[in-house]
Amino acid sequence: MAESFGQNLIELLPNLRRFALSITRSATKADDLVQITCEKALANQTSYQSGTRLDAWLFRIMRNSWIDQIRRDKTGGTKVDIDDAFDLAGEDGRTITENSLMVKTTQNAISRLPDDQREVLVLICVEELSYQETASLLDVPIGTVMSRLARARKKVADAMGINAQLTRSSKSEEL
Amino acid sequence: MKQEFSDEQLMAYADGELEPLQASEIETALAEDELLTDRLALFIESRAGAALAMDPLLKEPVPANLQASIEAMIADSEADQADRPATTNPPNVVAFPTRLRRLLPSYEMAAAASIALIVGGVVGFSLSGTTNSPDNVVIASSLTALSRADVVAAMTSVASGDEIALEDGSRFRAIASFEDENDNLCREVEIDSLDVSTVVAVACAENAIWNIRFTVVAASVENGYAPASSLEALDAYLQAVGAGDPLSDEAEQSALALLRN
Repeated sequence: MAESFGQNLIELLPNLRRFALSITRSATKADDLVQITCEKALANQTSYQSGTRLDAWLFRIMRNSWIDQIRRDKTGGTKVDIDDAFDLAGEDGRTITENSLMVKTTQNAISRLPDDQREVLVLICVEELSYQETASLLDVPIGTVMSRLARARKKVADAMGINAQLTRSSKSEEL
Repeated sequence: MKQEFSDEQLMAYADGELEPLQASEIETALAEDELLTDRLALFIESRAGAALAMDPLLKEPVPANLQASIEAMIADSEADQADRPATTNPPNVVAFPTRLRRLLPSYEMAAAASIALIVGGVVGFSLSGTTNSPDNVVIASSLTALSRADVVAAMTSVASGDEIALEDGSRFRAIASFEDENDNLCREVEIDSLDVSTVVAVACAENAIWNIRFTVVAASVENGYAPASSLEALDAYLQAVGAGDPLSDEAEQSALALLRN
C-alpha cells in the first residue's frame, strides 16, 4: 500500500529542515518555517499532483512562505544581518559529525553565497532537483538557474582549492 | 578548429542535463583537451563537495517538539479526512472556522496577545470610501480605518513590502497580493492604528469594490506589530480558501494599475 501523505511528509522532514536552514540561516527560523510549511502542505494536499516530486512542491511552499516573512520583517524593522553567515554545521553545536577541514570550508563558502545562488546550489547539487524542476520552483527561466548555479559552483570550487584559473569562459580561451 | 564550450554547457554535462548531441560533442572534445577536462572536473567536484558539506544537516535529528507538532498536525488532518464523507460537501469556506478553532490553541505563541477575530462577515467598502453596510456596525470600533478613502487609495497603490503613513498618522503596510479562486486580486495588509492595535486584513477587489474577506485585530503590542498568533490565524484562513501563491512584484504592479484605471 502506498504511503500516506503524512508519512511522506515526516520522511522529508530532514530535507525540509536542511533547505530551511540554507535559506534562513537560522536554526530557530528554520524550524518555524518547517512548521508553517507542513501546515500549508497538509491544508493544500489535494493540490499536490501525485507523480511529481513532493519535495520540490514542499520547497516551493517553503520558499514562498519565507519571502512573505521577509516582507513582514522588512517593514517591521527587523534586520537580517547578511554578514552574520549561519554556520551550516549547526549554530549550537548540535552536529556531532566530525567535519573535515574541507567540509567546513565548503560549508562556509555556501553560507557566504548570495541568496539566489545558494538556493539553486542547494536545490540542484544537494537536493538533486533537475534544472527544470528548479526553474519551475523559483519561477525563473532555466537559463537564469544555470547562470546562478555556475557562478555558485565556481565560488564553492574556489573555496575548495580547485584552480579558478581553469574556469574562464570559453570566449577568453585561446590556446 | 577547436570547439569551445561555455561553463554552463560543461556544468550541464557534469549534471547529466545536456542534450545528447551536445553531450557527444563534449565527449569528443574531452578526449583531446586536457584543459576542458579540468574545467569539467571543477563542476563535478563542486557538486560533490556541496553535497558532502550539506550532508551532516540531513543526519541531524529533527527536534522532538517539531516532530511531535507536525505529527499532531498530520493526525488532525487525517482525522478530518476520515470524518468527511468522501463525495459530499464540496470544499468551501465553511470549513474554515472549524479548522481555525482547532489550530489556534496548538500554537506555541498563542498566548502572546488577545485577539478579536472577526471572520466571515463580508463588509463592502467602495472605492469612494463610503459605506453603509449594516455589518459595519458590528466591527466599526476596530475596523473604521478600512473604510476610509486614504486606505482604499493605499490598497491600490502601495507595493507589497512597502509601508506608508495614513492621514491620521497610523501606518499602512502591504504584505502580499494573490488571486482568489475567481481570479480576483486580493491583498493582505496590516494597519497599525493609533490605539496600538494592529489590524491584519485580506480584501479582494470585486467590481471596483474592495471586499474585506478576513480581519484579525490584535490589540496592544508594544511595537505595533501583528503578533505571530494573528498571522497564524491568517495563514489558516488563506489555506482554507485556497489562496494562490503571492504575485511577483511585476504581476502585482500590473494588477494594481488595472484597478486604478
